[in-house]
Amino acid sequence: MSLFSLLGAVEIGLIFSLVALGVFISFRLLRFPDLTVDGSFPLGGAVCAVLISTGTNPYVATLAATAAGAGAGLITGWLNVKLKIMDLLASILMMIALYSINLRIMGGPNVPLINDPTLFTLLQPEGMADYVARPALLLVIVIAAKLAMDWFFATERGLAIRATGSNARMARAQGVNTGAMVLLGMAVSNALVALAGALFAQTQGGADISMGIGTIVIGLAAVIVGESILPSRRLVWATLAVIIGAIVYRFFIALALNSDFIGLKAQDLNLVTAVLVTVALVIPQIKRKLSARRR
Amino acid sequence: MLSAKDLHITFNPGTPIETRALRGMSLDIPAGQFVTVIGSNGAGKSTFLNAISGDLSVDTGRIAIDGEDVTRQPVWARAKRVARVFQDPMAGTCEDLTIEENMALAQQRGTMRGLRGAVKAAQRETFRERLATLGLGLEKRLTDRIGLLSGGQRQAVSLLMAALQPSRILLLDEHTAALDPRTADFVLQLTARIVAENQLTTMMVTHSMRQALDVGQRTVMLHQGQVVLDVAGEQRSRLDVPDLLQMFEKVRGEKLADDALLLG
Amino acid sequence: MKQSSWAPLGAIALALVAAAPLAQAQQKSVAVTAIVEHPALDAIRDGVKASLAAAGYEEGKTLKWQYQSAQGNTGTAAQIARKFVGDQPDAIVAIATPSAQAVVAATKTVPVIFSAVTDPVAAKLVKDWEPSKTNVTGVSDLLALDKQMELVKQVVPNAKRVGVVYNPGEANSAVVVKELKALLPKMGMTLVEAAAPRSVDVGSAARSLIGKADVIYTSTDNNVVSAYESLVKVGQEAKLPLIAADADSVKRGAIASYGINYRDLGEQTGRMVVRVLKGEKPGDIKPEISTKLELTVNPGAAEKQGVKLSDAFIKSAAHIVK
Repeated sequence: MSLFSLLGAVEIGLIFSLVALGVFISFRLLRFPDLTVDGSFPLGGAVCAVLISTGTNPYVATLAATAAGAGAGLITGWLNVKLKIMDLLASILMMIALYSINLRIMGGPNVPLINDPTLFTLLQPEGMADYVARPALLLVIVIAAKLAMDWFFATERGLAIRATGSNARMARAQGVNTGAMVLLGMAVSNALVALAGALFAQTQGGADISMGIGTIVIGLAAVIVGESILPSRRLVWATLAVIIGAIVYRFFIALALNSDFIGLKAQDLNLVTAVLVTVALVIPQIKRKLSARRR
Repeated sequence: MLSAKDLHITFNPGTPIETRALRGMSLDIPAGQFVTVIGSNGAGKSTFLNAISGDLSVDTGRIAIDGEDVTRQPVWARAKRVARVFQDPMAGTCEDLTIEENMALAQQRGTMRGLRGAVKAAQRETFRERLATLGLGLEKRLTDRIGLLSGGQRQAVSLLMAALQPSRILLLDEHTAALDPRTADFVLQLTARIVAENQLTTMMVTHSMRQALDVGQRTVMLHQGQVVLDVAGEQRSRLDVPDLLQMFEKVRGEKLADDALLLG
Repeated sequence: MKQSSWAPLGAIALALVAAAPLAQAQQKSVAVTAIVEHPALDAIRDGVKASLAAAGYEEGKTLKWQYQSAQGNTGTAAQIARKFVGDQPDAIVAIATPSAQAVVAATKTVPVIFSAVTDPVAAKLVKDWEPSKTNVTGVSDLLALDKQMELVKQVVPNAKRVGVVYNPGEANSAVVVKELKALLPKMGMTLVEAAAPRSVDVGSAARSLIGKADVIYTSTDNNVVSAYESLVKVGQEAKLPLIAADADSVKRGAIASYGINYRDLGEQTGRMVVRVLKGEKPGDIKPEISTKLELTVNPGAAEKQGVKLSDAFIKSAAHIVK
């Protein structure tokens, strides 16, 4: 595997680790299966790409994209809390609606960003190759997001959100407005995912309506692979775990792309990825069994 | 302090399974009093307790705490004034959170939760002190997940949690029913101590006539959604379980036919 | 072994060793990627390979050939782009807009030849239709839509309302619809749109056009091509004539198409790759439009859809489907 390929996997892995952090909030902390992300990821990309291509400053564009994601999360939460629609269903409804909304925002299925200014072109240090600068900048963003999350969920508000997901009835008895906490949690979660979409559009040449397909799958895979590599209940480790999980997952895809030497063909890419991830999930179990037997 | 006036709750109205759980239930509890509430299955005890906490909304009637009408307030808004210990130790705590996080949650009951740290050093000290009074060694396990504790331990912690923040009324919903006799006893003793120490106004629903008479200052018996017996003070301290039964028969003109209530 | 046998063996070995680096120096590498696998896109890939072979580049000997499909996933397309750039091939061929954008975003130095991108200027792959002076050039499958609509008029002379089934999420189709909206009024016709976001929606989109359109025209939209049979069903049941943009769809049940043969498009693309392998800079090569258009006719389908075709028209076709 070339360094370029490896850094490419790290770069995309870091973008999707933001998605994983968002999915971690909704899926693990709030116990809310949230498919909105398949729509909020491209929403972030669409808003950012449209704004940048019409001359807006990339910082503002990225911020606007993040806010749009928060809005999408709020609507899903509102459907669930106020209209009492089941969580999974509410998120599916929002995901479907966002398909049309995103097409409207982009004015078509695709908004390219090839020679436009982006966060990355603005912040690239002199002399550093872009394929090194991008993952470096993304690393900074991801670490900042992780630390912010770790801090927030240790505050009173954050604890209230975690209690809502853990035992809503008890949380209400402790004075937590669980409806409001669901809205807040969903907003933060989808804001992170939309931010990832905005960064993806800026590094991969634009926003495309199909870029969101399978986002929830990637997010969940990252969360589960991460937890399998670094199991821990403590939030600080759990957030690190999902970041690692996202990067490892994209790394496996890169590995699968480079396995043509064993006669595997292009069509086998998905199968190879699935096999590699299964191996990653099973190895910790085998390790545990072996060390138990040794005692 | 707590004033419930003429509460009516009917489940599934207009259907073949219609149940009139509360039929004009009224009860006033003055500040500082410890009331035990008993009744057979279907008498309406849990329904009444859930109406006070806000888990159930009444069809008609008025509930006031400290003079303020809370009839239409949701559970979380009433929580400022109402503390509660659930019957099921699982339901009363957040399994995935640590002991100190659960206690912090309870301590912030009724406050505006902001962006300050949820568990601060000073708080931790308070938690340790309180937990030490239980004599269960839990003060050394603050960062353990509460799900690792046994049912009795969790109920004990729940009681402490209920007393961390001042409340206008403490609701105890058959909180020893899911415990083995020895642990149940321990928790009951703990209850009496905490209520006395903090001078909490308390309403304890129980399935056991024995318990109802042993603890508190006043016993109320419900039947078919209404209060049928209300004894306190001198009169109550002379009563024993068979006496209660006789009083019941006199009032209702029928025998009390609930084995669990009789044997409990 | 006997001493006498060593010498000839040694000479042969020496010759092979000497020849090996030479052979490697001659070997060119071409990396090809498409966003998804699909008869039209696969035909392009095969056409590229054929043009390379015709110019003397044979896989395994003088050509290192690599193909990856992104399985419809833009994240994967991005990783494929990274991998290819890391391999530093002599040329990258990117088929379809999302793959082309991912590759162009990933490199400013490796030669990139795109294919099957209807409007490369709108996709920001190139600035305009002149030599780009960057590392990017390619072949577009843009169809002159006025010729397409002339075909429609030839087959259904009284057609006033042209229905179009397409995937609103596909860049190429969006371009076609936009142009038709501007073009049709000039020809005295109107456009009726029917969106099919997924291939399973194609049938119901077609059905929605019954009574609202006099003819259904489709481009090489990925969803439509995947589900063309459901269109044919509607065309036959409602006697709604179908005009397509590629020969394959006519074989499957459209009345006629005046379109690009995607294999030919692939060969045209391949010829451009050969020029780059021989040393030309992609920035000096003008982006091309597909040059070969042919008329394909299916008289059987015409009958089933209630249209009578003149013998002269049928005879003028390059291909007639039995």
